[in-house]
Amino acid sequence: MPGRSRRARSGYGAIAVWVIALLVALVATIQLRSQVEVERSLQGADPASLAFAIDQLHQANDSLEVQIADLTQQQRALQSGGGAAADQVLAAEAEQLRVIEGLVPVHGPGVVVVIDAPGLTALDLQDALNSLAVGGAEAMAVNGRRFVLGIPIEQTDSGVTIAGAAVLPPWTIDAIGDTNRLAETADLMTHQLHGDRRVREATYRVEADIVIRSVVSERPFLYAVPPQ
Amino acid sequence: MRRVARSQVVSSALVALVALAVGFLLAGQVKAQLLTPSNQVARNQALIRSVQDLERSNEADRQRIAALRMQIAALEADAAGRSNSTLALQNQVADLRAHAGLTLLHGPGVEVDLAAGPPSPDSTGQQRYLVTYQDVQDVVSVLFVAGAEGISVSGRRITPLSAFSGSGNEIVIDQGPPLFSPIRIVAVGDRNRMEAALQDPSALPNLRARQAQYDVTVKITGSPDLYLPAYDASLEATHARAI
Repeated sequence: MPGRSRRARSGYGAIAVWVIALLVALVATIQLRSQVEVERSLQGADPASLAFAIDQLHQANDSLEVQIADLTQQQRALQSGGGAAADQVLAAEAEQLRVIEGLVPVHGPGVVVVIDAPGLTALDLQDALNSLAVGGAEAMAVNGRRFVLGIPIEQTDSGVTIAGAAVLPPWTIDAIGDTNRLAETADLMTHQLHGDRRVREATYRVEADIVIRSVVSERPFLYAVPPQ
Repeated sequence: MRRVARSQVVSSALVALVALAVGFLLAGQVKAQLLTPSNQVARNQALIRSVQDLERSNEADRQRIAALRMQIAALEADAAGRSNSTLALQNQVADLRAHAGLTLLHGPGVEVDLAAGPPSPDSTGQQRYLVTYQDVQDVVSVLFVAGAEGISVSGRRITPLSAFSGSGNEIVIDQGPPLFSPIRIVAVGDRNRMEAALQDPSALPNLRARQAQYDVTVKITGSPDLYLPAYDASLEATHARAI
């Protein structure tokens, strides 16, 4: 019996050592991992990147504040106005979403960018349209063909296509949105394009009212299931 | 006998305590080695704090928007329950919202994981081992060409107005906080077509070259059912008006 008791005690001791050793390893690993995370974020966060992030976040937060104010107004209208207010809010949102999804012709202030370069590719067009989107473009068209993100831009043997239709250079890009921001973006874009040997012409002009008559076709979901 | 057993327990405990102390010392030592020089950290600390404050505010605003949208939807549903015309309008808006990325979506699709390679010298002076916003933009574009019906990037839903920007390894999408590697792009749509498009050797030439040269991770995984979150802010066109 005493022998069994000694073995049992020494067994407990060994288990205790293993448990503590395991805890040590766990603590050390957690410590190391968290430190590696800190190191990784510090490594990426050079002052220029941090300044960019601060600028972007300021703009984003300002925009979110405006959205909160608009939604609060909608909520108040619905709370006080009943069915008629609901119809009004829903109709206004439907119209907004049709504009955003490119389903209806639109007009508004903006810029017209003209780029003439025979060797430009689908990637160049995507970059130009993305730059204008970053600059606040709310509706865009290339050579009269409507574009919203989600519409395929492809490189084919015959050149660049938007939704399967060829858009041959020169590209005339209509972008509706805040003219100050768009002009700033277009200015930077055309300056950069002038440095590209392929580019013959890169200009822009600000217009008080641009009309985009083309629309994108509605694309019903074939695979995706929205909530019921 | 009892004394021997007690001394064994005591020595075991001592070994454990020493192991614990060694573990902490080891972790502390490695921690000290991993930290960048303190002056460099100090220089960036104020900026990092600003980013973190702004990110917290951004998160709070987006949560507030999500809550407001839910309250508005409830009020609209209540009104739709009392009127057929309101119900018809609500159904139209629900369809438009789904196509704009304002609702959850699920279905078959693919996940694309992108991660930066290990830091390595680059003769061009660029950091080509990083994943940039252009990489994300290129993958999203290939997916849309291959029939994606909805896409999210590291939990941020792509909408018709989405725009990609960034600096270095920061990736900014719309009004969201900066995203960093690793990035997960999830697309719902024609799974086979999207997988084939991503695996086409001629697609994403820049990313593929850096995958081979700088060990940038590009992992493509098909799935029978993937979920996309709803866009967590509002979509507004304040300058473009319907004719």
